[in-house]
Amino acid sequence: MSTDNVVEVTDVTLAYRRTRHRVSSLKQTAIDTINRRMAYEEFFALNGLSFTVARGETLSVIGRNGAGKSTLLKVLARVLPPTSGRVIVRGSVAPMIELGAGFNPELTGAENIMLYGTLLGCDSKTMQGRIEAIADWAQLTEHLDIPIRAYSSGMVARLAFATATDTTPDLLLIDEVLSVGDEDFQTRSKIRTEQMMNSGCAVVLVTHDLSAVKSMATRAIYLDHGAMKASGDPQDVIDAYHADLK
Amino acid sequence: MQVYDSAIAQTPVISALKGVWEKRSLLKLLVARDLTVRYKRSVIGIWWSLLNPLFTTAVMFYVFNTVFKAKLPDGQSFLPYLLSGVLTMTLFNQGLTMAADSIASGAGVLTKVYVRPEIFAFSATISSAINFLFGLIPLTVVLMIFGKHPGFKTPLLAVFMVCMCLFSTGLGLMLAIAYVNFDDSRSLIGILLLALQYMTPVFYPISALGPHTQKVIQFNPLTSFVAVFRDVFGGNAHATGGEWITMIITSLFFFVLGFYVFGRKWPKVVAKL
Repeated sequence: MSTDNVVEVTDVTLAYRRTRHRVSSLKQTAIDTINRRMAYEEFFALNGLSFTVARGETLSVIGRNGAGKSTLLKVLARVLPPTSGRVIVRGSVAPMIELGAGFNPELTGAENIMLYGTLLGCDSKTMQGRIEAIADWAQLTEHLDIPIRAYSSGMVARLAFATATDTTPDLLLIDEVLSVGDEDFQTRSKIRTEQMMNSGCAVVLVTHDLSAVKSMATRAIYLDHGAMKASGDPQDVIDAYHADLK
Repeated sequence: MQVYDSAIAQTPVISALKGVWEKRSLLKLLVARDLTVRYKRSVIGIWWSLLNPLFTTAVMFYVFNTVFKAKLPDGQSFLPYLLSGVLTMTLFNQGLTMAADSIASGAGVLTKVYVRPEIFAFSATISSAINFLFGLIPLTVVLMIFGKHPGFKTPLLAVFMVCMCLFSTGLGLMLAIAYVNFDDSRSLIGILLLALQYMTPVFYPISALGPHTQKVIQFNPLTSFVAVFRDVFGGNAHATGGEWITMIITSLFFFVLGFYVFGRKWPKVVAKL
């Protein structure tokens, strides 16, 4: 392959019809149909985005709440298919988005590592061999055989983080840099995240922490109502964002 | 290296089936999760899950025994006839609603990690099929009390179970779309399922009905499922060739239809989750 781009996004739009009523129900739909007043509006979560992320680059996405930052991550994670435009992602993806989705409180730590790791895309044979190392890193080896409903929330977070960061992906998607657990673990998880980011993979980082953008990002884009308002050098993009906030 | 290109068109049904097959190790883990949560952690787990069909049978037996007992064909006893009908309906209802629920309430996972949602539907119907196997124990006991045994057709049970899995997976996928789209569809579906249950000869023999009603009941695919199960396990009824064919064709049809509809609608629905 000639290109070094892990991510290629070309003119991507994500639009969906959403109802004006907060909840959609058969009852409401029936009433609206009879009244010939379909209460739909087209909502553009992402509007004509184009960018690339190369191996070793860290692209930071900034913008107000509801600007489409998390939606963009979900499109890159393959969860949401774009309405139009094209997304190409070459290689494996590690989505660090709300870690621990898929954990079951009734299953033991070891069983949850297996299930979560496989959900994230590892094959189950590889995962079987990784359980010990993951538990060791999360400092949960002694608690591996009890259901995680008996864990503290910090322990669950540690287990999720350790499992999600066990592989070296080609593309790392981060929704806010996580710091979980006690102070010691926060430091370790931060170091591990930075190691992953520096391992040569492509990174897309969504964050409100602008100092993190300055220190980590090689490039940034600024989203507003789903559209790209600025892109390029992180400092310039932050300036553009600040100018809009005033 | 795996490459995701959103511009590559997905072949309806085929791409989804391939995706499920590639992730069969995940499917195994999901089934194991369901079974572990249900059985391993509590001693009464298995018996608890049998309580519903057994209790339903007891109530129906009490209510309908005197009314319908005489109308069953010669040599048939009401209790095994009833219990096998109830077990079939439980398998169907449970598989269907669990398949739809696993997707509709799986938003936590499905909006964060790329997984084919169809895998969740499959794992739900497979675990309810395993549940159903446990139900064969009390049925065997009942058969023996009435001087019968499961019979030599028992291996054909596999065909019945595969058909039921395909049927309820396909319907469950379509139901999942309804659940996500409309908040109040659950209660409506509950009523429809109840109607379907009464339209299936669970506690009455089809011969007890008038000729017109018989035609309507015969149109219900579950009538064929019930007849086949009764035939292959305990010989509580005779399934005609037509009923075998109806069962196989409808399950394949709804399986493919479910995958097709789901594949088309899911991309529009997932953004709402």
